[in-house]
Formats: sequence, C-alpha cells, structure tokens
Amino acid sequence: MTHEERLAQFMARIERGEKIESTDWMPDEYRITLVKFMQMHALSEVMGALPEKEWVPKAPTLARKLSLMAKVQDEMGHGQLILRVAEDLAKPLGKSREELVGELLTGVCKFHNVFHMPAPTWADAGIIGWLVDGAAVVSQAALLDSSYGPYARVLQRVCAEEGFHIQHGESICLALAEGTPEQRQMLQEALNRWWESLLLFFGPADTNSASATILMKYRFRTKTNEELRQKFFDKYVPRIWSLGLTIPDPDFRWNEAAQRWHYTQPDWTKLKAIARNEGPLSQYRLGLRRMSYEQTKWVREALLGKAGAGAIA
Amino acid sequence: MDMFNVYEVFIQKDHGSPHVWVGSVDAGSPDDALLLARENFLRRDPAVSIWVVRQEQVHRTDYEDRDFFARETDKTYRMLTGYNKVNAEKWRKYKKNLLDLEKDFVKD
Repeated sequence: MTHEERLAQFMARIERGEKIESTDWMPDEYRITLVKFMQMHALSEVMGALPEKEWVPKAPTLARKLSLMAKVQDEMGHGQLILRVAEDLAKPLGKSREELVGELLTGVCKFHNVFHMPAPTWADAGIIGWLVDGAAVVSQAALLDSSYGPYARVLQRVCAEEGFHIQHGESICLALAEGTPEQRQMLQEALNRWWESLLLFFGPADTNSASATILMKYRFRTKTNEELRQKFFDKYVPRIWSLGLTIPDPDFRWNEAAQRWHYTQPDWTKLKAIARNEGPLSQYRLGLRRMSYEQTKWVREALLGKAGAGAIA
Repeated sequence: MDMFNVYEVFIQKDHGSPHVWVGSVDAGSPDDALLLARENFLRRDPAVSIWVVRQEQVHRTDYEDRDFFARETDKTYRMLTGYNKVNAEKWRKYKKNLLDLEKDFVKD
C-alpha cells in the first residue's frame, strides 16, 4: 500500500467517526500534533495544582483543607493518566516520558495560560474551582468525542473528577456569597481578577494556528475557541448573576439578534507574553516545579533501582 | 536508562464483577505498579482486587484485522431477540384459554 492509499484509508476512518488507537497506523502529522497537545494538557494538569496548593495550608477549615487536598491530588493524577497516553504515542518518535516532562522546564512545552495567574485570596481558590474548572470541563467535554480513542477514554475519568472540583468550588463561592459583606466583596474582587483570564482561557476567536487546523482536520477536536467560550457563558453567566455578582465588563450582554454573548475583548497580547512564560507568575511556578522535580529525583532513582533489581533476579 | 515499565491495570470493584481494564501506569516493579494503580484509579471508588500486567505480556488482536471479528452469518438464533417476539405472539393466542382455565381453577 502506498503512503497516499494509507492516508486516504486513515481519513476515511476519521470521517466515519471511528476511533484511532495507539497501535494503528497514523500519519506523522497526527501523531506529532497529538503528542504535543496531550503533553501540554498533562503538564497543565500538574501546573494547575500549584495555584490551589498554595491554599492548602491556609484553608479556613479542616473540611476545606481535605477537599482542596483531594482536588490537588486529582490534578496530579490527571497529569499521570494523560502523560501515560501521550507516552505510548510518543514512543515511535523516540521520545521518552522523561523528555516529555522535561520540556516544560526548558520552555519547549507550554502550560495553560490560566495557570500563570496569582491566587491571592481564599475566594480565588473558590473561583478557580468553580469557573476555571468549569471552563476546563467545557473544553474537555468537547473532546470526549475525540478521534483518538485512548485520550477520549482517559478524559471520561478526568471530566467526572472535574465535576467534583466544580461542586467543591461552587461550595466555597456559595459560602462566601452568603457570608459577610467583606466575604461578598472578596468574592467579587476574585471574579474581577479572573474574568479576563477566563476569556483568555479559550484562546482568540479567529485562531488559524497550524496545530488548531490540524486538530480540526483529524476531528481530534470539533469545536472552535469561540463556540466553547459562548458555551461557557451560556452555562455560567446566569449562575454568576444569580449570586448577585457583577461581571466586570460594562459592555457584556446577550445579543438577541446574533444569538450570542457580546463581550469586551481581553488584551490578547497577554496571551503572547504568557506563551513566552512571561506571565505574572510563570517563572515563579516553573521554579516551584523545577524545585519539586529536583527534590524528588531520588525517589525516581530509587524506583528505577527496583526495576533494575527485578531485571537481574 | 529508561527502566520504568508500563503495566496495564485491571480493577475488580466487587466480588460479583469481573476485573475491568481501566488504564496503565509506569512503574519500576509490580509492587509499585499496584500502589500507583490504587493511587491513580481508586482515589474514590471502592474495590476488592487489582491486577497489573506488563504491557508487553498482553497479546492482542489487530484493530485492522476485521476478518477476525467477521459476522457474516445471521446470529439471531443465538439471541433472546431471535425468539421472544414470535413466542410472545404465540402466547397471546393461548392467553385467553389460560385466563379461562385460571377462572375455573379459582371457582373450584
């Protein structure tokens, strides 16, 4: 079979809605783009734990501390699961798990723009759980139907657990919304701080980036950035309003004629800076990650030692 | 240098259920794999047993080999649906008689 015939056969499978498995033949373009996407997703899960982990020692009650720890653990677990899937796909490219993980620290692999932002108050922990995880579920649920079977399967577990995170974040936000005027104000200020990040979260509407086009072509993803952002508004704007919170954008409104939400464009140049790891806390959080990676090196080596011993026995 | 191995993970949630494949972990030994499997897949759900199997020990069919799963022949003679509709139609004919019989039986 020629390469063209194989490719045509592969595209026909994609168009029939079939799932691709790690052991199937696939064009390099599919493999390389997916590895990059899943690598970024996995490492973003790991980096996503950092803004919230800051609040574990400072959580207001033991119950809050336990649920926040559970959430942080979940994010790490998601990183592990997705990395495992990326690893199988990267193997034929001669790329190891070690390299996939290491590329975060060299800046070759980015982590999600929303995790470069500070979380200065307890209300930020709530807003992250409720709205940032809410945004994550909107974009991840859209990938449950992805053409790559192993990723779609892992996402089922990830999305189910993110559902718990949203409830947990809602619980924090509802408590603050029903609290003292100071607590309400703290919640409003956290929303003000995160609003722009929530818009940046989904990326620009008119993106024609090479990788986005490839992901669409192979039906790895099927929804555009703007479709996902609008979906997020549909779900969360009424909830935000019902708590008596104000969306920090005077032009924000439902456009009846266009049947879509109108919003003031965020400062997209910030996204470019973040992509260069020049966001507000990019270097600080990468530093944390580097430190933890170095400090746990002995653990990985000890586990490798056992693998070596097993091989001899 | 790359000495971690991939272990496929199977979890049995209770004694009445089969072990079900849930995913895989990287581990240096089978014992570590069992521990990591518990941490990755059982943070919430209860279970009674975990199996881990080295990935290269798994023998598998090829997704592209559709012939292996060929179903050219009609399989309904092996299924419930191959019988229950016709049976139901027939039973309907006997139903009235059956009811009459029951009525007589109650009378006695």
